[in-house]
Amino acid sequence: MNRKRIEVKLALPVVAPLLDVIKELADSLRKHLAAPPDLGDLDPDFRDAWVGELLSAQADDVHMLLALFDDEFFREGVVAFDEDNAEIIVRACAAVRLRLRERDLKPLGDETLETGDVDLATLDEPLRKAFMCYLFLATVQELIIQHLDESILGG
Amino acid sequence: MSDHRTHTSPSPQAVTELRLEGVWRVVVLNDPVNLMSYVVLVFKKVFGFDESTARRHMLEVHEQGRSIVWAGLREKAEAYVFTLQQWHLNAVIEPDESQAH
Repeated sequence: MNRKRIEVKLALPVVAPLLDVIKELADSLRKHLAAPPDLGDLDPDFRDAWVGELLSAQADDVHMLLALFDDEFFREGVVAFDEDNAEIIVRACAAVRLRLRERDLKPLGDETLETGDVDLATLDEPLRKAFMCYLFLATVQELIIQHLDESILGG
Repeated sequence: MSDHRTHTSPSPQAVTELRLEGVWRVVVLNDPVNLMSYVVLVFKKVFGFDESTARRHMLEVHEQGRSIVWAGLREKAEAYVFTLQQWHLNAVIEPDESQAH
């Protein structure tokens, strides 16, 4: 049986510095939900279990995202997506992007984040790096969604 | 003259049970971060929507700020909200007031 797989060659000098940002965010995502949910009138005990399970699943997803950037990536600059990791990676990218908004990208405002219309040259270095990371993860999501069909993403 | 009419109040448990009955909505709210294509993917995966239904709900979220993506029993609505939150969508559960008597 053929397993559909896509390999993407990334520009190491561009992507490697962004990994530091992703690693920092991965640490914070072990303690904080990317999108803190409105749990309405849920029973407090149930609420703790609910949040705990979301946190655990989120940590597993982000761990898988970080695992993409292994020794082989630093040798070849290549990452691969297939049916085993596609869903998890696309979800982990969403978590990191949401956390970037909360932690680093507030100065840009939500409208700018939605349109992506920013002159990178006008941003200071930490903000520029955070926004580059935000765009990079969106590109990874688009690649997976466009190139891996529904048999893999299970639509 | 005293009033001997009996006032009966429902027990807290009965109130809770009544509240949990009825129809509940799963509502997805807009966020400025998640990609349109990602939201479509999530709707297809979680609810089994076809492409056009998933896109219609995604556009409703994008343009109107919210979309009711499912309605039914509370327990199942909670399960859907949990799954949507695992996918990092801003999802909430609310009672369907149109079904209230």
